[in-house]
Amino acid sequence: MILSIALKEWKLLIKEKGVFIWLLVMPALFIVLFGTVLGNLGGGTQTLTYIDNDRTAASESLMTALGEQGGFKLEAKQAGELDDQVDRIREGKLGFLLVVPQGFAEKMTAGGDSLAAVELYSDGASDSAAGIRSALQNVATDYREQRLDAALKQAGVGDEAREQALQSPLQIEEKPQNATEGNAVTQVVPGYTVMFVFFVMISMIRRFIGDKTNGMTARLRTTRMKPLHYLLGMWLAYLGVALVQCAVLLGFGHFAYDVALGDLAAIAVLVLMLALCGTGLGLALSMVVRSENQGMAFVQLITMGGAALGGLWFPLEYMPKSMQTISHFLPQYWGQLAFQDIMTRGDHLSGILPSLAVLAAFALAGVLVALLRFRGFMKSAQG
Amino acid sequence: MSLAIEVKGLAKSYGNKTALSGIGFEVGAGSCFGLLGPNGAGKSTTMKILSGLLESDRGTVRLFGKEQRTAADDIKRIVGYVPQSITLYEKLSAYDNLVFFGEMYGVSGAELKRRIADVLERVGLADRAKEAVDRFSGGMKRRINIAAALLHRPKLLIMDEPTVGIDPQSRNHIFEMIRSLRQEGVTVLYSTHYMEEVENLCDRLAIVDRGEVIADGSLGEVLDRFGTKAVYLELEGGREAPKLPGYGEVEPKERGWLLRTDTPLESLAAWAEACKRSRLEAKRLEIVRPSLEDVFLKLTGTTLRDDG
Repeated sequence: MILSIALKEWKLLIKEKGVFIWLLVMPALFIVLFGTVLGNLGGGTQTLTYIDNDRTAASESLMTALGEQGGFKLEAKQAGELDDQVDRIREGKLGFLLVVPQGFAEKMTAGGDSLAAVELYSDGASDSAAGIRSALQNVATDYREQRLDAALKQAGVGDEAREQALQSPLQIEEKPQNATEGNAVTQVVPGYTVMFVFFVMISMIRRFIGDKTNGMTARLRTTRMKPLHYLLGMWLAYLGVALVQCAVLLGFGHFAYDVALGDLAAIAVLVLMLALCGTGLGLALSMVVRSENQGMAFVQLITMGGAALGGLWFPLEYMPKSMQTISHFLPQYWGQLAFQDIMTRGDHLSGILPSLAVLAAFALAGVLVALLRFRGFMKSAQG
Repeated sequence: MSLAIEVKGLAKSYGNKTALSGIGFEVGAGSCFGLLGPNGAGKSTTMKILSGLLESDRGTVRLFGKEQRTAADDIKRIVGYVPQSITLYEKLSAYDNLVFFGEMYGVSGAELKRRIADVLERVGLADRAKEAVDRFSGGMKRRINIAAALLHRPKLLIMDEPTVGIDPQSRNHIFEMIRSLRQEGVTVLYSTHYMEEVENLCDRLAIVDRGEVIADGSLGEVLDRFGTKAVYLELEGGREAPKLPGYGEVEPKERGWLLRTDTPLESLAAWAEACKRSRLEAKRLEIVRPSLEDVFLKLTGTTLRDDG
């Protein structure tokens, strides 16, 4: 009878197109949207709007050097457009404007105490000029090194000695530790998979409360069905839904974005535990809430709150320490951690055991609450 | 005749509200028993206790000799319950609904397929089986609602107002189905607000009010015991009927006059004589058989009962 109930539920879910949209299409869209948005953050090209009032080889050389820093598309404006461009900055339509004043080249070559200044107009309300500021610092450092080099050469210091003198004592040796390079998509694909697994609770609550209010649960009580079979059949049905959902979303991430899944056996066990956790909590909520609306409110709180605090939307390192501590009490955190352990850090089953244990504990707690409340739930279903 | 249902001293309260206060009745195996009563009288509570949905506070229910409290599982094998509301999965086809309910009643495989074909034939929906229930009319849904309770071939069918809000054709089809089930030996407990349904279908009936049986027996017994005999007179031109001192009160009814009396034959003769004396031409003059509705209203009153 358990399987009969699950089969009936799957037939019903196939007829309800909204379920597909909610559980599969929506998360896939979120993955595409946020994968694209976050993937382009920091990697895009900014427009470097500038006015060259000097129009000399030195000013052109400066602009070329800035262009070579990368990440900028140069856009020259005429001297008469200064006021217009500054107005655009004030209106928030332009992030910054670089002005090379007349006499720039002269001051660059004058030597002594002479300083060649450039003017950087920027929007104080945003941080959009951070990139150009950093690029200007780099170019200024290059100029300083060139000037130092020239001065040393003039003082008769040999090439080797000059090279040694100008070399920084600090060297950075990159030693990446993860098997796979992390990026926005390796954050978003498991993140939204974990987040939307918990949305299966909506469908569970709708069915349990719906069956109870329309008299179906009462009618079933008059049949030979064992009450516990009803609970287990429904659980099996939605467990299957959550497993398929995870498989589809991770497959989508793998085939559409080339996300490395890592140890598939470990992923399979994790997905099973995650599905047990989401549906276990769904069972508990279905037995606890008094109406569908109340259930929806709880689901929103658990899914959205858990996603934000559990590090599903952005890496936890960006969050305050207190929030990072709170996240340890959320199943979403452990789900995401385990996915990233497998997918980006190359871990296997043994490496994610703590996460699996926490997810299992949440699942068990959910099922226990559901079992405690189940008798009352069935008794209150009188048609 | 052996008994299908024996209900004794059944009591049930919801908080301070008493739903049943010692209800009792018996139903013979293979018969159709009508349960009548105004809203809130206790019909649905009785049906729910009999079908195992509710537990009574007091009293006993025996179905085919088995105590309901102690043999619930055995009883579920032989009882089919048709709830008042249509409880089907509307997105599923009629066939899929029947597969589901059949399996819930413990029927499966080829046997279930045969029984589904049989019940679909009974309810006249064999050709619509693959359609989703939400595309059915109210009458068709009602019929599938009944079919779902027949798949395990119950010996007792409990029907809680199964014809509410349906077309005359569907109602007639359901009546025929119930008659056919009775011929096969199925006992039917039928709750309804419609008096003519009880008159048409049931061998015996009980009128329930305020949680008690206030009248029971065969239709004839109830009418004889509680119905008042009367004579009806309708005159040409809608004229007023002559009074009959000593025979009873005359009251207007429909387009004529009604005389309630214990001696209908004598009263009819006296009224005919009075008309003749007064040179009044009678259009209709007849003994009126008391209706179940008259008895029902006499026993339960005409005050509105809105407490479902």
